[in-house]
Amino acid sequence: MTINEETLNLQLDLSKPLYEQILHQIRYALARKDLELGAKLPSVRELAQQLRVNPNTVMRAYQELNRDELIETRRGQGTFITTKPQKIQHIRDNLATEAINSFIDTMQELGMSRQAALSLLEEGKW
Amino acid sequence: MEMEYAIELKNVTKSYKKKLALDRLTVAFPTGQITGLLGPNGAGKSTLLKMLVGLVHQDEGTISVFGQSPSWRNNGEIAYLPDRGRWYALQTVAEALAYAEVIFPAFDLDLARKMADSMELDPTAQIRTLSKGLEARLNLILCLARRVRLILFDEPFSGIDLVSRDKITQNIINSMFDLPKTIIICTHEIHEAESIFDHVIFIDKGQMVLADNAEQLRTEKGSIESVYRGLFQ
Repeated sequence: MTINEETLNLQLDLSKPLYEQILHQIRYALARKDLELGAKLPSVRELAQQLRVNPNTVMRAYQELNRDELIETRRGQGTFITTKPQKIQHIRDNLATEAINSFIDTMQELGMSRQAALSLLEEGKW
Repeated sequence: MEMEYAIELKNVTKSYKKKLALDRLTVAFPTGQITGLLGPNGAGKSTLLKMLVGLVHQDEGTISVFGQSPSWRNNGEIAYLPDRGRWYALQTVAEALAYAEVIFPAFDLDLARKMADSMELDPTAQIRTLSKGLEARLNLILCLARRVRLILFDEPFSGIDLVSRDKITQNIINSMFDLPKTIIICTHEIHEAESIFDHVIFIDKGQMVLADNAEQLRTEKGSIESVYRGLFQ
C-alpha cells in the first residue's frame, strides 16, 4: 500500500519552521494510526514538489523519523513506515507524555494544585 | 558544521555616476543551497547578480565565484536569468531550445524538451505569441536545462500567473535532485518563494542588512515575508 500526499495532508504555516511541522504532523498521524504499518511514503522529491518546499527540509524530517525507526528507507525501493507496532506505541506514549508535561507546567504557572487540576480534567469535555 | 560558500563578496563597492549601487557589501552564498536575495527596489540585487557573470565590474572590493574572479571564462558554469530578459521573438519554442543547445555550454536538449512538455509549452508556438506566464516558463527552461553549478534568477516570478509560478517553483525543486547546484533567487514575491529557500540574505542601499538560514529565521522571528516587512516597512 502506498500513502499519497493527499492522505498525509500536511498543512504548513510559513511563520514556523517547516521541518518541525512536517516531522510533527507525520509523528501525530503515526500515533493516531492513520498510516498503515509497512505502507510506502511519498519520496522526498514527490513530497517536496507537492508541498513546494526545499528538498532539504523534507530530507531532514525523514532523517529524524528514520533515526527514531518510525520509517525505513530501503535503497532503490523507497521509504516505508515501520512494520513494528511497538515503535508506534512508543512514539504515541512519548507524545502523550510531552503533552501532559506541558499541561502540568501550565497548571503550575497558574498556581493550581494537583487535586484542582485533576478535578478540572475530569470535568473537561473529551 | 562548517559552511562552504560558492560565492563570496568582500567590501564590494559600485557606483553608477553619482548613484551608489553597492556600498562595501560583504556577503557569502552557501554551496549547494537555494539562497533568497531580498531587498527593496534599488537595493543592489540586480547589480550583484550582473557582477557574478562579469557584466558589471566593481569599483572596489573582491568577488570570488567558485574561487575565481568573475569573467566570461567561468560563465559556462553559470546560468543567468536576467530581469525582463527576452528571447528571439520570431523563433518557435522548439527552435529556441535547439538554438540554446548550440549557444549554451552543457545544455541538455532532452531535458529541456521534457520540461517544456511538463510545463505545457507548445513546441510550435512562436515566442512573440506567448503569454507572459508561458514566456517565463520558457526562460526558466533555458536556465534549468543547463548542467551548471550555479543558477542566478532575477525576478523569475514577477508579473506572471499563479499556475506558471507553481510550475516554475516545482521545476526549480526538481532540478535540485539532478545535479548538486547553488541557486540564487532575487524576488519581490516572497510569499510564493520563501518555502524553497535554504538561506536568506536581505540587502538595502547596497549593504547587507541580515543573513541567516531560513528555518532559523522562522524559529526566531516568523515567516521570511514578515521579517522583510519588519526590516523595510
